[in-house]
Amino acid sequence: MTQPFLSIRKLRKAFGAFTAVHDVTLDIPKGEFLTFLGPSGSGKSTTLYAIVGFQDPSSGDVLLQGKSLLAVPSHKRNIGMVFQRYTLFPHLSVAENVAFPLRVRRRPDAEVKKKVADMLGLVRLESFAERLPGALSGGQQQRVALARALAYDPPILLMDEPLSALDKKLREEIQAEIRRIHRETGVTILYVTHDQEEALHLSDRIALFKDGRIEQTGTGEDLYLRPATDFVAGFIGNSNFLAAEHLETVGGAATIRLADGSLVSGISANGSFERGQKTRLMIRPEAFRLERNPASAELTVDVVDVAFYGERRRIVARTTTGQEIDIRPTSAAMASQDATPSRRQVFFDPGAAFLFPA
Amino acid sequence: MLLDYDHMGWLKTALLGFTALVAAFLLLPVVFIVLLSFGSSRWLAFPPPGWTLNWYQELFADPSWLEAALTSARIAALTAILAVLIGLLASFALVRGEFRGREILRGLLLTPMVLPVVVFAIAIYAFFLRLGLGGTTIGFVVAHTVLALPFAIIPIATALEGFDKSIEDAAIVCGASPLQAKLRITLPSIRIGIFSAAIFSFLASWDEVVVAIFMASPTLQTLPVKIWGSLRADLSPVIAAASSLLVGLTLALMIVAALLRRKFKT
Repeated sequence: MTQPFLSIRKLRKAFGAFTAVHDVTLDIPKGEFLTFLGPSGSGKSTTLYAIVGFQDPSSGDVLLQGKSLLAVPSHKRNIGMVFQRYTLFPHLSVAENVAFPLRVRRRPDAEVKKKVADMLGLVRLESFAERLPGALSGGQQQRVALARALAYDPPILLMDEPLSALDKKLREEIQAEIRRIHRETGVTILYVTHDQEEALHLSDRIALFKDGRIEQTGTGEDLYLRPATDFVAGFIGNSNFLAAEHLETVGGAATIRLADGSLVSGISANGSFERGQKTRLMIRPEAFRLERNPASAELTVDVVDVAFYGERRRIVARTTTGQEIDIRPTSAAMASQDATPSRRQVFFDPGAAFLFPA
Repeated sequence: MLLDYDHMGWLKTALLGFTALVAAFLLLPVVFIVLLSFGSSRWLAFPPPGWTLNWYQELFADPSWLEAALTSARIAALTAILAVLIGLLASFALVRGEFRGREILRGLLLTPMVLPVVVFAIAIYAFFLRLGLGGTTIGFVVAHTVLALPFAIIPIATALEGFDKSIEDAAIVCGASPLQAKLRITLPSIRIGIFSAAIFSFLASWDEVVVAIFMASPTLQTLPVKIWGSLRADLSPVIAAASSLLVGLTLALMIVAALLRRKFKT
């Protein structure tokens, strides 16, 4: 078996009686872009801090190419990191900021100069070399921080919510930049964010954290199309949960009874359920259709409100048992005069709906 | 806001007048001293019958005045260095430290600011007499450093509080040892606080008279002690000239401090 590039082994971190990280185990191959996604307090940042050495784990290990990092002090781990807050050295020029890690490593001047030029070229800020950080926008500062973190060719780059202080448009711009830099340098990136869109956009794989544990690890598609738990289904993308009673499962396809009494079969079941067990059926808002087709299941709803969201409309509706659901058909699929409150049928593909224990 | 300056009406004029009065009350004596130092009257008559630089000539002709000024400068400089060094270490403990009794330590370090100086002076006089430090430069510097510490700690601790520790962490991840990170990144980033601390602790020693009177010996006198002593012997305009120089240097340093602050603010 080949040894993984970076390996997190049963990592645990407790603060007094509170356990922030429970036995997190994860292997990361070289060159991967892996994102720790999760709500705040889910242990993703604590895990990152254990890797960089700001916090010593209570137990477990972090191995880089088979060697434990834990006994190595932070400044000798040779890891790159971009922080959530702006951390450029305020009294040094952009060029000197990028040069700093090379200067503490006592690299020869000519090499430092060349590397600084290369790095500023990589983040497209060549013309800002002599400016002080205070004269840069937030986005530019984070790009310089990225250049500084990559200047010494670290084997891993850690990014701790680096875009959370930026506005949405700038965030998308720098996301594209980060993807390009990952492609060009091939550096292994561990990225922390609570923003699922950011995670989906950037990552090769996502590890979704909840309460100090990894709920599911997989590609964005895995998490979106094949959520392992209702938490994953609820966290990635938008979702509706309907109360349902499980009747039977045959070959992975479940038949259930919804609260309004209607039967639906052909649902993908996660795990095994007993007859009569209370369950929750998850349907994505965009999985609903307004037109019937042969394989579709149907649901009777009262339309409460319709809003125009550009490429999609958003319908707020209520089931006959009074539960509010969110439906997002394409704008083309629904004319605006359909917007008047009325009772109607909506349709969904049972194969795109998931059953979870209640 | 209830007391917004722009909406105070006639109160605004009253406030302005009152403020001017307070400023005049505080500053006029100093202005008088400076004017008298250039006046030709030996008896410090005001307004002066004429103007002269005689008193300054006399001042510079007497080596004991120059010696007192140099002593003051030397003690103030050593005090400033010591107060900044201790102030730096204390500030890191007070701002970053997490230990029991931190607030008590903060209070203790700032006590010299509120303690009646004469009480401190008597105490340290008695103490230094035993140690044989009375009338020595070391005694002076140690005593003044205690008095200057609050003036060093306040600006440094304030600057350190305003400095995001993540920046220091970033330097460490970049490969700097924790000490290197502090020396090369943190200290330069809070240098405005360090400069202010140096200037204010210099001044705390430079114009300190109470402790200095207790510490002084016939062979070791600071400028304020010499002024005080001469004042009691005879009232000469030379004292006004010496006082003017004292005020002049103090003012110059305050202006430097203000300029530094403005420069680093922008």
